[in-house]
Amino acid sequence: MEMQEVEMREALRQAIDEEMTRDTRVIVLGEEVAEYNGAYKVTKGMLDKWGPERILDTPIAENCFAGLGIGAAMTGLKPIVEFMSFNFSFVAADQIISNACKMYYMSGGRFSVPIVFRGPNGAAAQVSCQHSHCVEAMYGNFPGLIIIAPSNPYDAKGLLKSAIRDPNPVIFLENELEYGMKMEIPRQEYLVEIGKAKIVREGHHVTLVSYSRMLNICKGVASELAQKGIHVELIDLRTIKPLDIATVAESVRKTNRCILVEEGHMFAGICAEIGFQIQEHCFDFLDAPIVRICQKETPMPYSKVLERETLPTKAKIMRAIEDVLR
Amino acid sequence: MVTKQKHPIHFFPDHTQKLMKTLGSEHLLKALRAMLLIRNFEIRSESAYQHGNIGGFFHAYIGQEAIQTACVDLLGQKPWYLTTYRCHALALLLGVTPAEAMAELYGKATGNAQGRGGSMHLYADRLLGGFGIVGGHLPVAIGAAFSIKYQKQKSLSVCFLGDGAVAQGTLHESLNMASLWDLPCLFVIENNQWGMGTAVERAVCMFPIAETLAPAYNCKGYSVNGMDYFSCYSCFQQAAQEVIETSRPVIIEAFTERFKGHSVSDPGLYRSKENLQKAMEQDPIIRLMKTLEAAGHLTQEAYEQMNKEEKEKVIAAMKFAEESPLPDVMTLEEGVFCPR
Repeated sequence: MEMQEVEMREALRQAIDEEMTRDTRVIVLGEEVAEYNGAYKVTKGMLDKWGPERILDTPIAENCFAGLGIGAAMTGLKPIVEFMSFNFSFVAADQIISNACKMYYMSGGRFSVPIVFRGPNGAAAQVSCQHSHCVEAMYGNFPGLIIIAPSNPYDAKGLLKSAIRDPNPVIFLENELEYGMKMEIPRQEYLVEIGKAKIVREGHHVTLVSYSRMLNICKGVASELAQKGIHVELIDLRTIKPLDIATVAESVRKTNRCILVEEGHMFAGICAEIGFQIQEHCFDFLDAPIVRICQKETPMPYSKVLERETLPTKAKIMRAIEDVLR
Repeated sequence: MVTKQKHPIHFFPDHTQKLMKTLGSEHLLKALRAMLLIRNFEIRSESAYQHGNIGGFFHAYIGQEAIQTACVDLLGQKPWYLTTYRCHALALLLGVTPAEAMAELYGKATGNAQGRGGSMHLYADRLLGGFGIVGGHLPVAIGAAFSIKYQKQKSLSVCFLGDGAVAQGTLHESLNMASLWDLPCLFVIENNQWGMGTAVERAVCMFPIAETLAPAYNCKGYSVNGMDYFSCYSCFQQAAQEVIETSRPVIIEAFTERFKGHSVSDPGLYRSKENLQKAMEQDPIIRLMKTLEAAGHLTQEAYEQMNKEEKEKVIAAMKFAEESPLPDVMTLEEGVFCPR
């Protein structure tokens, strides 16, 4: 297989570009996606290639352009809406929640909303309280939305292509700190199926579940522990909703211990949900309480030391694993 | 509160005589019949609500019938349509059968949205919905207009909204983007004077609304007597032509009156008897009926007969709804996602 080394942003760009070639109904809209080439350069060069009819700079009016995308999706197009930060999607929450997510069910299947909302989620470097929230737990509470959060360029490209082809609204979560992440991926076209977790590393001592940027921290933890003779089974959720609980449960039945890591907040977070589902599926198999490492219950502080303290870290994950194995 | 500056309203001319000729009596009698179906549907379903056969929220279109009837008479199935939760009339006008609409109100499996939408969420091939959040459908409407433009169709998106939505930010955002991007969207503000129990002058700083707004968005704005079928038809004719030819938004403010409360549970205590009485004197159905009668197109007997026939259609629809099966609870979790 012929391979190419690409950054995350390039993998995402290729996914959009290939789908735009395949389907003339696909359009991109958002703040600074065209003339500025994208706030994080995901759409670099696309205006030149596809023109202003398909790559559209919007005013700073998230609720309006999200809704415009929904209306276009209901009437035959396949819009990709970029949020410069998913924290700005809160401005568009009414459109995403009341219209995109509920339309298919509410209309008795008359109108579907094939739309992708994509952009960076969660914390970057010291961007403080209003630009750092992880949105997956909030959107996870609304039936009708698909939520995807890849951790590497290969998955990002394959999943974004699947998301664009899906007839449902998709929340596609990227990470500002990972846009430069490099990886070898195939040159030829491929898809990654929505709703399938991946066992990144096999092990038998403890199951470690995470996604997005935190998965890469967990990877480091797992290799370090392997040198100490502790074999972690690491699972990358890749899709948060629908949740691939079968893969997680199968692993927990094998290891009998589970640690969950999430960049977002503890209360009513994704880990709270996964932990509960493990309890439903694996109650008799657990040899230790499930432990979760999440963001502490604070808005994101600006100062570096405080920012580090509120987020999950390698040390915190390491300590939790050693605790459950004691 | 500072007394607001009230600018004069320039009502769009009604062109009654001209339209009587060009449309002809058959067209106008059909329009009257459509309005009577809406009126009877609302009256009967409101009583079904009182009897406990219909639940949730229920917003009647009684008093406002001329507006959407004239619009659909003129434009038919060509545009995309969107409206508020006061959506029964538009669904009926766009071909939803009274039985299908009533069954939805009854929460039956045979309903327009399989009993999942209810009174506020009805759909048709060209009706993207009754929307439940005030102002929430405006961005969706310009999205439909975007599709029309992208697909190079000669059509338009028609978005009905209430005076209450004028205070929402989506109105500004949607007008701004529709104007910037040259989107063929017709905004129809049905000003029925009340946002639930709050009089429009306590919620909106502009008067009249469309004429005041339009210049700021570099588009046309019209005021029209929403109680008069002919005025509405004339105004829609002019506005729709402009929207399609220029691919630009246009705003219409239809001055109207709802004869009922905001919803069925609203006794309207904030409104004086005289105010309501005055409003009801402008009944758009009586007005059209009298015009047709004066022109010799209709007799009292024929009108009564027509009303009776439409009432019977609604009674048959109620029978259909009553006899229809409830949704199978086994289907509850189906259709959350569209199959791939």
